[in-house]
Amino acid sequence: MPLTGLPLAVFVFTTTPARKKVSLCARACNSPHIHRHCTASTAAIFAMAPTKEELERRRIVGVEEERVSNVTSTDFPGHYPGEDHTWNLEEFRKKLKIQIHKANDLDYEFDLIGVDASIANAFRRILISEVPTLAIETVFVHNNTSIVQDEVLAQRLGLVPLRGDKKGFQHLRWLKKNPDEPAVEATDFNTIVMGLKVACTRNHATPATETDPEKLYFNSSVYARDIKFQPQGRQSDWFSGAGEIRPVNPDILLAKMRPGQEIDIEMHCVLGIGQDHAKFSPVATASYRLLPSIKIKQPITGEDAEKFINCFPKGVAEIQTDKKTGQKKAVIVNPRKDTVSREVLRHEELKGKVELGRIRDHFIFSIESTGMYHSDELFLQAVQILKKKCVDFHEKLLES
Amino acid sequence: MQRDAYVPPTAGGGAARGGGGYGGGGGGGDIPRQVSMKYLCADCGKSVTINKGDMIRCKECGFRILYKERTKRMVQFEAR
Amino acid sequence: MPDHETLPDAPEYDAENPGAEVEYDDDDEPLDLSTDNNAKIIMLGSATDDDSCASFQFENEDHTLGNALRWIIMKNPQVEFCGYSIPHPSEPKMNMRIQTYGEITAKDALIQGLADLRDLCDVVTDKFVAEKERFSVGKQKS
Repeated sequence: MPLTGLPLAVFVFTTTPARKKVSLCARACNSPHIHRHCTASTAAIFAMAPTKEELERRRIVGVEEERVSNVTSTDFPGHYPGEDHTWNLEEFRKKLKIQIHKANDLDYEFDLIGVDASIANAFRRILISEVPTLAIETVFVHNNTSIVQDEVLAQRLGLVPLRGDKKGFQHLRWLKKNPDEPAVEATDFNTIVMGLKVACTRNHATPATETDPEKLYFNSSVYARDIKFQPQGRQSDWFSGAGEIRPVNPDILLAKMRPGQEIDIEMHCVLGIGQDHAKFSPVATASYRLLPSIKIKQPITGEDAEKFINCFPKGVAEIQTDKKTGQKKAVIVNPRKDTVSREVLRHEELKGKVELGRIRDHFIFSIESTGMYHSDELFLQAVQILKKKCVDFHEKLLES
Repeated sequence: MQRDAYVPPTAGGGAARGGGGYGGGGGGGDIPRQVSMKYLCADCGKSVTINKGDMIRCKECGFRILYKERTKRMVQFEAR
Repeated sequence: MPDHETLPDAPEYDAENPGAEVEYDDDDEPLDLSTDNNAKIIMLGSATDDDSCASFQFENEDHTLGNALRWIIMKNPQVEFCGYSIPHPSEPKMNMRIQTYGEITAKDALIQGLADLRDLCDVVTDKFVAEKERFSVGKQKS
């Protein structure tokens, strides 16, 4: 019996009353305080659990031919007469489900089931713009005679994702950059120094017929791997050996050179967040989509079935043959693979036989890290950052 | 950052980065007149020293386009 | 651009004794960026006399906290209305309006909402960690 969300101590459940009764009573009482003030007897009339069909209807965001329907969440107290919907942590704990589908270091996919879009969106937004990472912030060009202009090269360098010992990063602090304050001194706590010093020279060992610049010259291409960490102070303890600060992808091409050209650059890296500049964003993408739902209202058989399954990406729908009658029938196998293209709604012969939608509280999260942290660590950090916001404001409000 | 006066790259001043040997303290007008300047040949890439009144021409290959050398001063950029 | 000064100052570096142990936060939480609380919130002057309705201004916050907090405050049956807005896109401020039925003050509702959201985060963390465990065990078996 779907009685979730109702305080059982107050309400007396008998049988499931008809929906009509409730609207009558709601009009008579007309108080949004029904949960608190109604006596047990009137509550019994109010305490009508929504039917299974009704719950199912609320769970689906409809995708119709020209519009989406049933978009907003309605799980608030006072929205449906006789239903509670008050925030309940234990209820939430019971309903929340997380299922991991893909767990590579840098590429994570999991389902987050049982949260509202506002919560899932907060996590997504924090992942993109509020989890701090290290990136090159200032570039000191001592010499650059390559054809890449200083400012262009500086911008390219800024976007190179960096990594290093994760424990070591815990020692790092923000380099304050508030213009109102006097500039904070760069220390080993807030600044990482990197150097890039490459000169292109001719390789005299190549035959005169050689045309490949990679063989003709040394250092004709400058790659991210040429960026070298120059530890300051205790940084050599924090980031040593394999934990050295270095570009995540050593093969990023930064510039091309010819003999006689030279690049000599010092770079300062600081912690920052994606809100300030995209180079600080720890993720390549962090996104979610709602799980598609495809409902077949009337059996789709024969030739229509063939047509039907061709409306979806491979693996979404299949044709099943009835063993007794030998009739062919279309069935949904894996709605997860669907893109909700609405192609199926364009066919006259399938009209009214199928309903497309997405499940409101089933988020398929995908987090692709740029490499400083693993994707699962990033998600946990994002949750911690949201929590910290709450704790901080909570504290401030209690103080005032 | 204290910017010192422009120091043209010269044949004699083999100073590395961070300002040459000249004109550090000198204000606007009294930078000593250079007698010779270093340029780079646009064709062969060799360094060419030219004195006042000389032909603008590479001494190695005779090419008539010469490039100015890059400043020896450090330049700071924001990686944004 | 909001300023993010949520970090304590780095401990003094003793140049004469470079190898000395310095005390700084070294707990196991991932990148502990913040023991400092720089949250700024003020009550705007549109509250009713009994404080059952009020508006709050959050500094350096946006839709991230705004919408999540709005949702959880709306889950409170004592709250008649809750909404948020960002008055100007180039100011890092978020305004939140709360109106209660009168049995609690708007501030109480906000405090309750923040506490609930904090608890929600803990549940999500627990579940995620548990699922990660389960998934890695399942992977080893197969």
